[in-house]
Parts: sequence; C-alpha cells; structure tokens
Amino acid sequence: MKKTRIGLLVAALLCASATSAWAQKKGAATKGAEAGGDQAAGDQAAGDQAAGDQAAGDQAAGDQAAGDDQAAGAPAGGDELPAGLPEGGGLGDICKIDPEACPKLDMDKEAAKPLDEQIYAMQQLFVLRRNRLELNPYWSFSLNDQFVQHNAPGIGVNYYISNVLAIGANFNWYINSDSAFNAELRRSGRVSVPLTEYQWGAALNFSYVPAIGKFAGFGDFIFHYDAYVVGGVGALSTRPIPVIDPDNRNFAFEPKIAFNAGIGLRIFLNRWFAATLEVRDYIFNDKLENLSVPATVREQQDDSNWYGDSKLTNNVQAQLGVSLFLPFSFEYRLPK
Amino acid sequence: MGTTTTNSRTRKAGRWLLAGLVAGFSLLGLTERADAQEILLTGPLAGAPAVRQLRLYREGRFEVAPAISFTLLDEYQRTMFVGARVNYNLTDWLALGVWGAYGAIKIDTALTDHVQDVNVARRRSSANQQATDPLGQPTIDQRLVSKNVGPDFHKQLGTMDWIVAPQLTAVPFRGKLALFDNVFVDSDLYFFAGPAFIGVNERKDCPRTQCAVDQAFDRATRVAIAPTFGLGFSFYVNKWNAIGFEWRGLPFSRNTAGFDTRGGGKDGNFPDDVIDSNDREFKFNQMLTLSYNLFFPTMPRISE
Repeated sequence: MKKTRIGLLVAALLCASATSAWAQKKGAATKGAEAGGDQAAGDQAAGDQAAGDQAAGDQAAGDQAAGDDQAAGAPAGGDELPAGLPEGGGLGDICKIDPEACPKLDMDKEAAKPLDEQIYAMQQLFVLRRNRLELNPYWSFSLNDQFVQHNAPGIGVNYYISNVLAIGANFNWYINSDSAFNAELRRSGRVSVPLTEYQWGAALNFSYVPAIGKFAGFGDFIFHYDAYVVGGVGALSTRPIPVIDPDNRNFAFEPKIAFNAGIGLRIFLNRWFAATLEVRDYIFNDKLENLSVPATVREQQDDSNWYGDSKLTNNVQAQLGVSLFLPFSFEYRLPK
Repeated sequence: MGTTTTNSRTRKAGRWLLAGLVAGFSLLGLTERADAQEILLTGPLAGAPAVRQLRLYREGRFEVAPAISFTLLDEYQRTMFVGARVNYNLTDWLALGVWGAYGAIKIDTALTDHVQDVNVARRRSSANQQATDPLGQPTIDQRLVSKNVGPDFHKQLGTMDWIVAPQLTAVPFRGKLALFDNVFVDSDLYFFAGPAFIGVNERKDCPRTQCAVDQAFDRATRVAIAPTFGLGFSFYVNKWNAIGFEWRGLPFSRNTAGFDTRGGGKDGNFPDDVIDSNDREFKFNQMLTLSYNLFFPTMPRISE
C-alpha cells in the first residue's frame, strides 16, 4: 500500500516537471516574439528560416538581403492588419509594433500557389537559379605547365534546369607564352622537351551545385556563395612548338577531343552578379614533336616524320571571372 | 560624294551609339529594379547585429593542426611536407602562431628523369669517343654541360628540407556551408602572413675551373629567409575539430637544378663558369595544405 502511494507521488512529480519544462520554452518564445528582438524570431524573420542556422550553432539575425520579402510588402501605414493575417499574435504582433514592417500578403493568392515545390533544408535560398541563364566571362591561367603558360580569356554560358543542375558550354581563346625556363634548360643541360601551344578550346558541360553557404564579413555584412562541380566534353586545338628541328618543322593547329572536370566557387555580390573562381582540368591526347631528327633533308622535311609520341595531357587551369544571371530578378514561390 | 558617305557613316554611328545607350540604360534600369527589392530591414531587427549567439570557435583557444603540404608547379622535384600549425587565437578574428614542416617526401619529376637519361647516354657516348679518339676529347655536348650536369642529376637538385614560419592569422570571414542540402558545417576564411625560415639544400658554390669535377656537384645547406602568406578555409566538424585547406605562397630565390645560369656577360644573364648565389633564380614557390585542426579548450564560447 505504501509503495502504491510512493509510486503515485513519483508519477505526479514527473508529470508536473515535464509540464513545467514545456511551459518554460513556450513562454520564452512568446516573450521573445513580443520583444521583437528574440533570436528565434530574428532568425525566422531575417533569413534562412534555417534548419541550417540552428544546426550550425548560430543564429543569423541580420541576413538583411535575404529577408527583404516581407519588408518589401509593407503597408504604407496605419494600424489596420492586412486581410488574412491573424489578429491575435504572430504576424499581427509585428504589425502592431511596427506598421511599416507589416507584411502585405494576399493569403488566398498565396494559398492557391502550387505546393509541389522541392523542399530544401535551407529555405528561401538567397539566389534561385532554376530557369535562369548564367553568363560567365573569365580569365584563365595555367596551373600545371611550367614550360608554356596557356592563359586564356573565355566565356561560359549555363542554363539551369533546376536550382542545382545546369547544362552549358564554354569557350577559351589561348594566349601562349614560352617560359624562359625552356631556353635555360636547353642552354644549361642541352636537353629539349617537346612543347605544345593551344589555340582554342570549346566544351559542352554539366554543372552541379552541391554546396551553398554564407559568410559574415567582419561580423557585419553577409555574403552568400556556392560551390559547384563541372564536367563535360569538347575539343582543344593544339600544335607542337618546334624545338627539336625548328628549321624544318612547321606544325598546324589540330583540334583534339578534350574531356574536362572541375570545381568552382561562386561568391554572390547580389542576386544576379557573382565573382567566380574555378579550377578545371582539360584532359586530351596530345601529339608531341618527334624527339629525333632524320638523317636526310628530304626526310627532315617530310611532315610525316615530325610527330613523335602521343601523350595523355592534363591542362589544369584556374579561371577567375564574374557571373551574371538572367533574368536579374526572380520571385519566390512561397512567402517566408 | 565623299561628304555624303561621311554623313551616312556618322548617322549610322549615331544610331549605333543611341542603340548602345538605350541598351545600357535598360540594363541599368533592370539593375535598379533588382536592387530595389533588397530593402533594408526596419522594425524590431533594424540595427541588429549580423549574427547572434555565434559560436566563437577561435577566441581564447589554442589551435593545434597537424598538416600535410604539397608543392605546386615544380620543374624538377615535388615535395610533400609533414608538419603542424600551432596558433593562439587572441580574438575570434586574430591569431598568433607558427607553422613548421619537414620535407619528408621528395618526388622527382619526369623532366628530371629525362635529363638524367640524356646525361647517362651522353656520358657513355663521350667515354666511348674518348676511348677511340687519339686526343681523348669528350663530345661537344659533354664539354658544354660539364659544369652543369654531374654524374647523377637527381643528386644535385635544390631542395627545401624544412620550413618554420611564425605568422599572424586574420579571420575576417565566418560562415556556414550546406552540403547536398543536408549536411551543415560552420566554416571560416582566413588570411595569414609572416616571415619564413627555410632550410635549403642546393649545389654548393664552386670557383672557376673547379666546377666540372664530380665533387663540385655536391650540395650544401643554408637557411633562406622569405615572406610567406596565403589564405585558407576551416570547416568545423564539431566544437573542437575542423578540417583545414589552405594555399601558401613562399617566394624566394634558389638554384633548383644546380645549373650555372647567371653571373656572366654585360648584364649578368649569361653563365660565368662559377656556381654561386648569382645562379639562384627567383621562384614563386606555392603549396597546398590539408590539415586537421584541434582546438583547446574543447568548448567554444558563445557570443551574445
């Protein structure tokens, strides 16, 4: 009998403590919402409404650029609530505190929008890419050819089928510079290595954006970025620079099939303009100059003797550029 | 007739100019519209800080980061450095520390192998010629390279054996990354700079007339001092672990091949049959580093 009493007492205590805990959380949230400056409220009003924010351990309150939608719809003034907004709390409270910040939404219209949208863990992405065209002029630098620098102005065009997947093309026009190192090696070591110069390159590509993120600069302003992978196939027009027998050999440019794969970073300055940094490897089968010179002049001038081995070549390039997204503006399908 | 043509051209140019201006202003107009959407917040969040309750991963914490670095764009030899970075973070955006690394693995490039192959063939050919030549002369090629390429080219290459670099690190950017819309990690972007002390092993100096003997291709060590700087990303795995990725520049002059390339001629740009500091060439050494960063104490502070 005594045990039964003790059991009932413990059960009552457990129930009371659980209720008490819930009450504290709910109360804190309500209080915060009333104050208007609470972190939770701040996060939702201000930015990513983020599972990501909380998972990442901080709460971005001032992601102002991302939080404009509600402010953009503010009524001109007055205490009247917009149609469809609840009067007893939530958005209604915002309207009482600051009428200018009160959202003006036609809830019937918003509710009529289709709900088959893909759901993202981080809602209201800063930039929507779907059905937008990206123009990407850039300047590219050689990263792995110490003999000949293949710098190139280039342009890329991508069309985004979804927010993360794009099809596109890019074109490079190369400006080659033979490194002084080659001459020194020839002079000091009496050794020549076959050199290659490029004329143009073009490729059809797929791009995929697996990572998005944002940085707070000096704890003050916020900018958004994404990281992407790109891959494709195209052509690269190349020819050997004659160094073994320059008196007789004169090569013509020939296009070769080139595969490419790369990774890139896009830093958004606003919703349609970004700075880009990309590293891409163009892989092709290069035809090198013949290292041996035939004995007779007739054979030396026979262009079938000019080419030597073929070699799988990796042309790794860093590409620095900017991206413009067209159209410049877009509309979110759902309100925050 | 000439005047008519000129007027026609002027009119055409005017039309093009007008069309260009209209297109330009249209673009600006569209830009205006796009920017207009980005209205500053008013109301309760006006003037609020960019980030609240930020995990201060760095402030007041020691960072110990074992690291491996890979050199880039090497002509003759690639080096893999094994080392560590130790930082004390004075604030969340400023750290004082040191990076040290040892060149544990050195891999010769294909060019080095090629030079040595040619060298071996050339020496063999020269020896044969000397055997048959009544004057005992080596080949022209062998004579021309006798001061530059020793018996084993691999063993005359200049190397970086160790590096110690005290450095200041600034962390102006702090953010987060969503991967596959599923995994979320905090990250920061930092810049660092400082002086570097580099243990260099390169072909020792040799005076004129003595640079062709086999012993003249031995190497000697020296300590070079150079600026070092770069930038890196940290991706925080949890409250006290992060994965780091950084790029480092380390520009200084060294003789990477052990060649006699400078010191002679009017402007000193020709060989002078002497191996000395004139033969060192400026090289913008670069490397990529992967690190695993540990922070102590293990619990970060939280901002207001």
